[in-house]
Amino acid sequence: MFNDFLFLASAALTLGGAFAVVWVKDLMHACIYLMASLFGVAGLYACIGADFLAATQIVVYAGGVVILMLFAVMLTGGASNKTNRYGLEKIHAMGNTKTKMVAGISAFVIGLVILKIMVSVLKAQPVSQVGANENSVEKIGTLLASDHILAFEISSVLLLGALIGAAIISRPRKEIHD
Amino acid sequence: MNATIISYLSQSKEFNLIVAWFSELFGFDATSFVAFNLFGVFALLLIGFAATVGGLGTFAERKISADLQMRQGPNRVGPYGILQFLADGVKLITKEDIIPAQVDKFTFYIAPVLCLVGVFSALSVFPISSGFILTDLNVGIFYFLGMTSLVGVGIFLGGYSSNSKWSMLGGMRGASQIISYEIPVTITIVMMVLLAGGMSMGILVSSQGSSVLDWNLFHNPFTFIGFFVYFIAALAETNRAPFDLPEAESELVSGYHTEFSGMRFGFFALAEYIEVLIVCGIATAMFLGGYKVPFDLGTGELLNQKLGLDLMLAKNIGQFLEIGSFLTKTFALYYVVIWIRWTLPRLRVDQLMTLCWKYLTPIALFNLIGCAVWIYVFNGQSIVQLFSLLFKSSGGGH
Repeated sequence: MFNDFLFLASAALTLGGAFAVVWVKDLMHACIYLMASLFGVAGLYACIGADFLAATQIVVYAGGVVILMLFAVMLTGGASNKTNRYGLEKIHAMGNTKTKMVAGISAFVIGLVILKIMVSVLKAQPVSQVGANENSVEKIGTLLASDHILAFEISSVLLLGALIGAAIISRPRKEIHD
Repeated sequence: MNATIISYLSQSKEFNLIVAWFSELFGFDATSFVAFNLFGVFALLLIGFAATVGGLGTFAERKISADLQMRQGPNRVGPYGILQFLADGVKLITKEDIIPAQVDKFTFYIAPVLCLVGVFSALSVFPISSGFILTDLNVGIFYFLGMTSLVGVGIFLGGYSSNSKWSMLGGMRGASQIISYEIPVTITIVMMVLLAGGMSMGILVSSQGSSVLDWNLFHNPFTFIGFFVYFIAALAETNRAPFDLPEAESELVSGYHTEFSGMRFGFFALAEYIEVLIVCGIATAMFLGGYKVPFDLGTGELLNQKLGLDLMLAKNIGQFLEIGSFLTKTFALYYVVIWIRWTLPRLRVDQLMTLCWKYLTPIALFNLIGCAVWIYVFNGQSIVQLFSLLFKSSGGGH
């Protein structure tokens, strides 16, 4: 019973947060709702017994990515007002016919993909109860060091590239004096 | 499953009696219902305890700073002024809740709440004793790291929502300070996890022994340095002096909590004091032996065997001894935190960042590698064990 309650609360938080991200007009508020949605995803991970993944989700997203987005939005000025005084959208691409057609086709394609996934879920056998919390950290660590070592090393190279790129972008420019 | 306070209590007869009574009342097995309600009760108790300690922390700060400055401190409200924190709380609650017109309402409302939520949810893995820890998650210390980073979001939003220069500066400095000092904290925690062999609080504490020499502090020179690295970096994370530039009064007119009045400011202050308690508690658990009582009295077996007490009663007595041991060490560290505040001058913001990135982070990395090499070379034995082996072998096995 508690598992059901946890799942419902996490799913509601995820979906509600995601809707709010798209709905609100203010960009900072959208970042906060994104954080709420990511907390919901962490709860969903906890429902299926992936405790290390849930904790990592909280550490990486709430403590890292959301703060990064808040800083970036604030330092780059955010988005200005989207509607003029008649309430009509100011940006050209909004409310355009072409935009609506592309959006309609994308929604249709995404709906088909979701339907394909749902079919396999609906036809599956009922899953057994999630086992007791085994030590998932040890298993993940062993797999990362043995089966998935290539992905592990490539992601570290990617992080190194990001660090070097950030350092180069933000280095002080040398000024040439006469 | 994780060891929780409910799994400890379910060993007692009274718990099973309650479950049986409820099962009879409802018709289905009421174990999870009773467990859920008991969790709620104990969570509320723990929050109440932490909030009281936070309030008493303000009082202790005023008394200890008075002692350091050779004056009296509050001594009017109750015996030795000990009810001063209640008077402060009443004052804050009854103050007018001023919300300036130009603030961003939504973020203004949730910023102090985020700070407090982050701190309270980190209490669920607070290692107060082996049985009474609310839940001994398998990823306990990792979860603690995630929850304390919510405080940084709260500080940043507090500064941003106030829509004023001083608050914005204070909020940005506070957030950048917190996310910078998370790195030495995380690296030191990873080193201790490496040493202990698991991320749960129970494993971290039980990897240490009961006597002082068996603490992780004296395990190898790298953990010794690591304790100080962790302590300094965690102090900076809680925005405590000498790292309190985001809330400095002489520089920033109280920084990110300038525009918050009444209980909203009270939330920020309470979150800071409770976070100091939690950080001191985690430092105790990782380095100073946690809740271990000397001579292993905490498990209750010695009491059971020597004094012939009932097993559950012996275990409960052991739990209270463990709580006493843990709180003694934590409050000693709390005293050191307050002492440092009133001794050292405040760091400038560039000195703050230099300290973190140029000193603490390289030292923490060096500690991590050094500790890993030590574990590999000496098979995880501490310096104390190595010395005792040396003496035993030089005695020719006698």
